Amino acid sequence: MSVTPPAPAPETQEAYSLRAGIQERAGGVLIPLAATFLAFLIGGLVVLLTGHNPITAYRAIFEGAGFNWPYQWLTGQETRESARDLEQTLRSATPLILAALAVAFAFRCGLFNIGGQGQYWVGFIFALLVGTHLEGLSRPLHVGLCIVAGIVGGALWGGIAGFLRATVGAHEVITTIMLNWIAIYGGKWLFELNGPLQGAAPSLPRSAIIFDSSTLWIIWSPYLHAGFLIALAALVVYFIILNRTTLGYEVRAVGFNAEAARYSGIGVRKNYFLALAISGAFAGLAGTVDLLGVKQAVDQSDFDTNFVAFTAIAVALLGRNKAVGIFFAGLLFAALSTGTSSRNLNPEVFEPALATDLATMIQALVIFFVGAELLIVYIWRSRRYLRLGRSTAEEPAPL
Amino acid sequence: MIDLHRNVRAVSAVGIGLGLVAFLLTLPPFTIRTTVIPIVIGLGALALGLAALSQGERRLGGFAIAIAFLGTLGGLWAQGVDQTTLEAVLTGGLLASTLRFATPLAYAAMGGIFSERSGVVNIGLEGMMLVGAFFGVWGSIWSGSWVVGLLMAMLSGGLLALIHGVFSIHLRADQIVSGFAVNLLALGLTGYLYSSIYPDGTVKGQIKRVPSLEQLLGFLDWVPGADLSLLVWLMFLTVLLSYIVLFKTPIGLRIRAVGEHPRAADTVGISVYRVRYAAVVTSGVLAALGGAFLSIGFTGRFTENMTGGRGYIALAAVIFGKWRPGWAFVATLLFGFGFALAIPLQREADISSNLISILPYLLTLIAVAGVIGRSIPPAAVGRPYVKQ
Amino acid sequence: MTEEAPLLELKGITKRFPGVVATDGVDFDLQLGEVHALLGENGAGKSTLMNVLYGLYQPDEGEIRIKGKPVAMTSPREAIDLGIGMVHQHFMLIPVMTVAENIVLGVEPTREKVLLDEAAAEERVKRIAETFKFAIDPHARVEDISVGQQQRVEILKALYRGAEILILDEPTAVLTPQEALELFGILRTLTEEGMSVIFISHKLHEVLEIADRVTVLRRGRKIETLPRQGATQEQLAKLMVGREVFLRVDKKPAEPGEPLLQVKGLDVLDQRGLPAVRNVSFEVRAGEIVGIAGVDGNGQSELIDALTGLTRAQSGVIRIAGEDITRDSTRERFDEGIGHIPEDRQRRGLVLDFTLAENIGLHEYRNEPNSRFGWLRPSRLIALARRLLKEFDVRGGTPTTLASSLSGGNQQKIVIAREVERDPRVLVAGQPTRGLDVGAIEFVHNRLIAERDEGRAVLLVSLELEEIMSLSDRILVMFGGRIVGEYGPDVTEEELGLAMTGGRREAVA
Repeated sequence: MSVTPPAPAPETQEAYSLRAGIQERAGGVLIPLAATFLAFLIGGLVVLLTGHNPITAYRAIFEGAGFNWPYQWLTGQETRESARDLEQTLRSATPLILAALAVAFAFRCGLFNIGGQGQYWVGFIFALLVGTHLEGLSRPLHVGLCIVAGIVGGALWGGIAGFLRATVGAHEVITTIMLNWIAIYGGKWLFELNGPLQGAAPSLPRSAIIFDSSTLWIIWSPYLHAGFLIALAALVVYFIILNRTTLGYEVRAVGFNAEAARYSGIGVRKNYFLALAISGAFAGLAGTVDLLGVKQAVDQSDFDTNFVAFTAIAVALLGRNKAVGIFFAGLLFAALSTGTSSRNLNPEVFEPALATDLATMIQALVIFFVGAELLIVYIWRSRRYLRLGRSTAEEPAPL
Repeated sequence: MIDLHRNVRAVSAVGIGLGLVAFLLTLPPFTIRTTVIPIVIGLGALALGLAALSQGERRLGGFAIAIAFLGTLGGLWAQGVDQTTLEAVLTGGLLASTLRFATPLAYAAMGGIFSERSGVVNIGLEGMMLVGAFFGVWGSIWSGSWVVGLLMAMLSGGLLALIHGVFSIHLRADQIVSGFAVNLLALGLTGYLYSSIYPDGTVKGQIKRVPSLEQLLGFLDWVPGADLSLLVWLMFLTVLLSYIVLFKTPIGLRIRAVGEHPRAADTVGISVYRVRYAAVVTSGVLAALGGAFLSIGFTGRFTENMTGGRGYIALAAVIFGKWRPGWAFVATLLFGFGFALAIPLQREADISSNLISILPYLLTLIAVAGVIGRSIPPAAVGRPYVKQ
Repeated sequence: MTEEAPLLELKGITKRFPGVVATDGVDFDLQLGEVHALLGENGAGKSTLMNVLYGLYQPDEGEIRIKGKPVAMTSPREAIDLGIGMVHQHFMLIPVMTVAENIVLGVEPTREKVLLDEAAAEERVKRIAETFKFAIDPHARVEDISVGQQQRVEILKALYRGAEILILDEPTAVLTPQEALELFGILRTLTEEGMSVIFISHKLHEVLEIADRVTVLRRGRKIETLPRQGATQEQLAKLMVGREVFLRVDKKPAEPGEPLLQVKGLDVLDQRGLPAVRNVSFEVRAGEIVGIAGVDGNGQSELIDALTGLTRAQSGVIRIAGEDITRDSTRERFDEGIGHIPEDRQRRGLVLDFTLAENIGLHEYRNEPNSRFGWLRPSRLIALARRLLKEFDVRGGTPTTLASSLSGGNQQKIVIAREVERDPRVLVAGQPTRGLDVGAIEFVHNRLIAERDEGRAVLLVSLELEEIMSLSDRILVMFGGRIVGEYGPDVTEEELGLAMTGGRREAVA
């Protein structure tokens, strides 16, 4: 090009990149926080409009989630309920975090895995098969085998979408949606009356119960099982795979810029397949720990009511696909669900039936706001922020 | 060249026909009871399908192969079942039942076509159906009139679609994320309002249902199917109108242009944003009508999450029907027939309805995998448009 | 010219982009019934000027007059209403629709006020096509017709909207020579019917064939307007390229060694499946820089893609140091000694959301000590990056800075550092200084010379003649997918310019 923009002086450039870095990181925290705040605000508005007090409602949900336990514990006024509430919150955060990792891992490869629910169920069923067979194994071995089976099942289901994306270019959003429903109805078929995997009770559409040797250890009685530790470990594994292995390096390169990855000799298709298979493995693990730690069997009706992996999409989006973010987002959404459950929420303060739906609405709003950074940016002030976004965009200035 | 192409098509058409024959011969009134015949005929269909495939006719050839397999399997199955069971399954009520299952799907699928043809992915159909179902009930109770119920449903669906539009068109959020949020929002909102307005699920007041054709216009009671809801008949009209609007009017031409190549549309002075908003809102209105059929058109009540994934099936029908109203309608009929068949099959022949429920999704998966010809979406679908 | 006001006048048009003056006080006028060519290199400001005229850009200074009256052109809509039609270089056509549908889009004829009148649309299209002696089937789908016919659809689109002034942006760039001839025939008919045409091009022989007058732009400025009569290719080439002082690079004479890159009879198809590189053979020896000159889109990009394994060659052989690599993957080729500085550093050369260390490691991450058994060791990458940042004088970032926050010149240093660090035998550089400032250009140039002196074989593909001439030890010219000439470093610009624009053909086996 004959006319070129002048290069900024070195000093200002140094300062600029520093500022850009800080804003990048700050935006990474601020936008989810702002989105959450806005979502709760609008949710509160709905509560207000339908004739309830939002502040007492939110407070009841907060306490229902057991978040007042640390305060009580510190001041020595610990109560049995709040401890149990908190245990339940952590317990329901477990599959949320794991399934969110399934969304996040694919996302880092530039793919949108909406099929966590299907992968969750296939993992669940694979683990169930192992858990209901192989009687007499030692507990660590049996649990270990179940986990392996669940991971394989989830990876298989995710891998189908990955394979189709890599070979014929079928869009993963469509294929994973279809695979979800195939898994859901397939599961209902397996455990229906006279279904292939129906359990011993002839009149119940229900699976057999896994052997005690394949149940997870309880680490905080009565509710919290070792699956929570597995979820924490998975967060670490996720971080390590992405940031400390060549595989994760390739996945991120493809996710950020598939074209540049191709130019440097990285196999883009191979990574699409691997990323969705690994994604599926995380979701399969979510199903497995739910089985081994909580359910121990599955009712046919569970397939109609359990949508934990859908909620996990919101968790991943809010957590910005970062390990730490997913942990906190998972905790938040778990708290919303336990805090609004009919057992934990005082119906005189706020009806649980309403609160459950309120939680769903808040999740939806969070997704809207996190998804539309532009909106937050509009609402914030900053035209300056917009300009920064543009200067770092991929397109060069028009000529 | 063209003639050869026609011949190949004819070959695959015969293949499809043979596959169907393999099945039909085993059903009443023919009721053939040797395994040889369906297998032989099925093999013939398979051969024709493969021949067509080798000549490059992927779409119909693949279809013929699929039908060959299904027909043979169906034939073999039917032979293991006694005749009375078969007759109990294949009753005259099956058609009406098929239409009832297909109607909500067809409305939502037409909506989906409008939105996606304009370049906006709409996986929020499920949510838009759900608000339609709820506000249809609410409007009908509030006013005592089913007309107002339908209008409220359409209004609510349009508004929800408008939210999807603002986020995915102006704010350039990921259209899939936005559509997903629409579904969650609808689930939460309708559940909340339902529990809030009708505590314990008790509905005060009467839900006015949409009348059937004969209830509304008594003199038409000789028309076959006059006992079907007015919304079913309206659905036929909607499909026809969707086709006409999309392919026979300037508006449709512009919608398709915006979905294929928005910049080209922009350079001839078409407002990309305006067209997309209009299409997305239309999709919400139509999907909501489908939802309203579920509540005030058919069951006469609302339950939480009553759409139960029908929006996703409608989406599957859109893809399966290659973004064309006619074919998408055929897809909804096919899916609807599957569901209609599932009930008597479960009752009479003990075939799991869950297994049959898998079929629409499996067929769509196969379709997008390119086995039965490739489903190619509008070129610009999913991409936010940035004005120059 | 004539005494009366010209049909169209652009006066003193200045358009600035951040840091760039794209056009600087350009005057331009168009008479009724003439073809006025706008000639200039890439980036000379031709497209910017026309986008101003078409209402896509607002000028910072200057005015537009039509038939003597000043007009404000704020959108394409207004330009269309004022009788201006534009045929974009990248066609604005919808492939899955018919010719007639594409043409009437936005101003559709209707029946009963609501229905699209396809018969009338096709009839009208046919009528206009006949008026201007076009052969076109209004019922055909655009994706099924040839590129030349698609271009006619674009022209018809403008005519259908009542255009009197037609802007053609590099119309022959996508055409075969035969189709180009047909286009010229069409343009002559159009002007006979009273249309006026602005013809944007950088191909001299075309301009001399079709234009009545030629205006030459260089670096955003109007250099001269001259009538076709008496103009020669040599004269135009000189005006177009200019005689600027070269960015002279100090270099010793080359001491070529053994051939490291050998290409024989290479044929490559482009993305549409059309031949883009035709029977190309050449070799690059150790210690020399071979420059490939040519106007954009003459097969250079496809040649690079084939060399680096990003596209498969249809036929032909590629050897590195005697070893046949024609069937190897991109990654294998990198391991066998190719280094590649891609044409577009932001899209292909860098992952902008990666840190500098991660970008530097885009090849080496797989090898010890940067990783072992699949485990990445970021600290090693950071150490490597730290060393290279210093060696290549990258400013404005540390190894953990995101690549997106660097300036273009420093980004390019990262790419070069990465490719050179692996000690490649052959270095392929595609437009390595595009969009860089003078200081960065100098750095890149010196670095390429230094790599040559290290004994590498350097293949330099560039659209900048100056760059080719000041760096190369030998120069190959590509035109229409073939190598049409080979020159020594002392060739003149005029000679090169002629060869690049198809003015002369010297068959090279």
